[in-house]
Amino acid sequence: MGRKAQKNDSLPGSLDMLILRTLSQRDLHGYGIVQFIQQSSGNELLVEEGSLYPALQRLEVNGWIDGVWGVTSNNRRARIYKITAAGRKQLAVEARKYAKLTLAIARVMGAE
Amino acid sequence: MWIRRLRYWLESARRSEALREEMTLHLAEKAAELEADGMPPECARAEARRRFGNVGLKQEESREIWIRRFWSELGQDVRYGCRTMMANKAFSALAVLSLALGIGANTTIYSFMESILLRSLPVADPESLVVLNWQSPPPQNADKQWVHVMHGLQGLAWPGGKGVMVSGMFPYRALETLRVENPVFSTLFGYFNGLTRNLVVHGQATTASTEYVTGEYFRGLAVSPAAGRLIDSGDDRPGAAPVAVVSFATSENRFGGPPNAIGKSVLVDNVPFTVIGVAPPQFFGVDPAAAPDLYLPLHTNLLVDGTQADRMYGDENFYWIEMMGRLRPGVSRAQAQAALAPRFHRWVETTAKTAGERARLPALIVNPGAEGLGSLRRQYSKPLYVLLMMVGLILATACANIANLLLARAAARRREMAVRLSLGAGRLRVMRQLLTESVMLASLGGAFGVLFALWGMRWLTLLFSNGQENFTLRAELNWSVLAVTVALSGVCGLLFGLAPAIQSTRPDVMPALKDGRGGGPRRRGQHVLVVAQIAISFLMLIAAGLFVRTLNQLHSVQLGYARENILLFSLNARQVGHRVPELGTFYENLRKRFESIPGVSSATLSQSSIIDAPRAGQPIQGTMKIGAVTLDGARVMSTGPRFLTTMLIPILAGREIDDRDQPGWPPVAVISERLARTYFGNENPVGRHITLPEEKRDLEIVGVSGNLRYGGLKNEEENAMTVFVAVSQFAPDRVTYALRTAGDPLRFAQSAREIVREADSRIPVTNVITQAAEIDRTISREVTFAKLCTGFAVLALLIACVGLYGTTSYNVARQVGEIGIRMALGAQRGAVIWMVLRRVLLLAAVGLAISVPAAFVMFRVVRSFLFETQPNDPVNMTLAAVVLVSAAILAGYAPARRASRIDPLAALRRE
Repeated sequence: MGRKAQKNDSLPGSLDMLILRTLSQRDLHGYGIVQFIQQSSGNELLVEEGSLYPALQRLEVNGWIDGVWGVTSNNRRARIYKITAAGRKQLAVEARKYAKLTLAIARVMGAE
Repeated sequence: MWIRRLRYWLESARRSEALREEMTLHLAEKAAELEADGMPPECARAEARRRFGNVGLKQEESREIWIRRFWSELGQDVRYGCRTMMANKAFSALAVLSLALGIGANTTIYSFMESILLRSLPVADPESLVVLNWQSPPPQNADKQWVHVMHGLQGLAWPGGKGVMVSGMFPYRALETLRVENPVFSTLFGYFNGLTRNLVVHGQATTASTEYVTGEYFRGLAVSPAAGRLIDSGDDRPGAAPVAVVSFATSENRFGGPPNAIGKSVLVDNVPFTVIGVAPPQFFGVDPAAAPDLYLPLHTNLLVDGTQADRMYGDENFYWIEMMGRLRPGVSRAQAQAALAPRFHRWVETTAKTAGERARLPALIVNPGAEGLGSLRRQYSKPLYVLLMMVGLILATACANIANLLLARAAARRREMAVRLSLGAGRLRVMRQLLTESVMLASLGGAFGVLFALWGMRWLTLLFSNGQENFTLRAELNWSVLAVTVALSGVCGLLFGLAPAIQSTRPDVMPALKDGRGGGPRRRGQHVLVVAQIAISFLMLIAAGLFVRTLNQLHSVQLGYARENILLFSLNARQVGHRVPELGTFYENLRKRFESIPGVSSATLSQSSIIDAPRAGQPIQGTMKIGAVTLDGARVMSTGPRFLTTMLIPILAGREIDDRDQPGWPPVAVISERLARTYFGNENPVGRHITLPEEKRDLEIVGVSGNLRYGGLKNEEENAMTVFVAVSQFAPDRVTYALRTAGDPLRFAQSAREIVREADSRIPVTNVITQAAEIDRTISREVTFAKLCTGFAVLALLIACVGLYGTTSYNVARQVGEIGIRMALGAQRGAVIWMVLRRVLLLAAVGLAISVPAAFVMFRVVRSFLFETQPNDPVNMTLAAVVLVSAAILAGYAPARRASRIDPLAALRRE
């Protein structure tokens, strides 16, 4: 489809971690999360926007994030998500896992 | 966590709304951003949507996080299914009806199988009960002479495999021998059928089926009384006070409830007994075929049956008592057999008197007793399996039919499916929805099927019992039967729904979307199903033909005596105390009074009805001789005056038995023509004598009768040699009266009852029946089969025709364009009709062809049910084929005619 940026499908499950990481810095609504990830990755990561909402539901059911009705910067009603204590713990777990994984991959690639 | 999930699920409607709002906002913000980048508003909105992906699907996925998608979709599917069913009322009704018939028939037959073949005795721990049987080599030697330690048998022996004889009857000594210090049984008890007795309660006489039981019987079966106490060892010894236990039903019908029965005095065949207890309601003894009304201690038969009973206990060669044991805990049936068989062998060896008898000693077998005795099982298991096979086939055709209709409908719904698939519905999701629809149809069919089954069970009970008053087989809808029905419905739904579901969700949606007419390629699957249906219907038609033919053969059997306008009923005056010689006078006076009823042209009596005579036994046991020649194969019937006149049997010479033949006078006999021809050639037998060496008596032959069929219709000896003797001179205990009546015989039953009541109110009149019905009763199985099978065949044929009609209609609809072109090019209507019918006939022909080998397999199964009918009778097969092809043409003609009426212009315009 001629999309320049890389779609976030290289590491399955990393979307959850990215969302948690984003929300650990600031409370945001859905679209805000997408934009934040895009910008902070320097437009390298493009979240598949449709997949965001199932992911948000999943995180909320697991009790890692909490959504409350609020108002966006444009003054529109939206569900603003914030990370919970359990969510922070989960983020730490996933970050550790991710670090191990990337290190391993880097070793393989470096050995070449 | 699942609590949170549950809460979300409960708030699901609100949450869906929230989710939708979030997504809308997302799209709006995205569009705004794109617009800010300089995109025109329209394009921006479209681009936002495009980048987002499938909104509906994502919503679904999100919802799925908190609702199990399965349940929500099931709800949708059911709602959608209801709508589809309502939209196609005719289709749904047809499908539900044919399924209901199929499932109903299956449930009915299965409920009978369950009650006969699968249900356990209603006693505690039935698995530890065993029945003792024995088997021995064939009891006859090469000259057909009886050589066996069993010199006499009261009860049943039946053929096992390879000519061996099997029985459950033993001499009393065998019970005594096995009972002492038995290491494998905690109890061993005996019983025997006491037949029907006269039971007088509060001065009212009726008949009661009786079981004589040993003192350990109730303890061994672990049955506790509904009231009072049950028979124990103290009651079962010679000289004990005569006591009786009655069945629960008897206590209610005759005493007004179990508590009222206790302590009451009753008369059993004129012997006073005291009722001490009532058996529990569900208890029917050990044989599901015979539910006794009355249980008596074994040794009370000395009081009721007198001296003849006395001999039974000591006679080691007279087999009459049945035995059951309860295994000790931890003992297996095989261990019991290993422990008891040698002991029985040692004992039975001592009873053998000759080398021939020693060569045919019975061997003990220990059989499972949980299901009770097998008499019903032996009688009904094979017919039930055959019936089950038939109803299974019917259900298969019904399923095939619905699958077929669904396939046709699936073709019509291809566009709908294609639209749904292209909008992003998962294939499995669509299949599941289709399957839900078919399972819904099946469930409805199952629900109605249960209703049909209730009705069918009543009808089948009536058919099986055939007027027997004491028919004890009670099929019922219990949980196990219902579970089978439910499973059956589910399996049917999946079975007939699967193929259409797979076919209509093929991933190649484009052709279907492009093809606006909703037609499709020719469906081979449909044709296979129709051919299978035709094959099954053909098998059923052949079977029905065979059974109907068998019935016709049986009805056309030459009886040699009158069938119509005769009323039969039985009574037993001996049981209430009438004794010889007064007994004979009593019976004769009754006969004269019956004859004086207006509308009765003649009345007579005999030891039993003619058809039932073999079961009633012979009035003369010993040998009969004419001069020095022994009469071989002659049957004796004890009859009253005017028997031949009443039964319309011709008198060929001399006279029949009449009033002159009084007890004190020289005994006389009337012989049948065949007997006369065989033993006297062309001489006149009248005036000659038959001698009875054992009884030291002499019969003077006074007449010759026409030949008549003695006993049942299926007996091989057609015109048996018959000797009629006088009831007054060879008095049986029980007699059957026959009244020749003008008009419906049963109208005279009431007058006959009145006369008996006036003569002696203690005597019940039993087995009131017309001669025709009495004869039909002996062929009840054949009647049942012919009726059921014809019904089934018609049903199968009907279902197959509906299938054929549906397929043909579908084909015509698919070929509208082709037919239009042909007609535009000048094809005649007749040619179009032929074109359609040709395919119908082809399907029918293929169906016939493949069912012929199957038919030969079926012949082997049904052969034993036939009478003078060859299973592979070509006439029958041709007839079945003609019926089938005619039905097929009929089913195909309507669509064919519709095809011939197609307007070529209209058809072509649609192309």
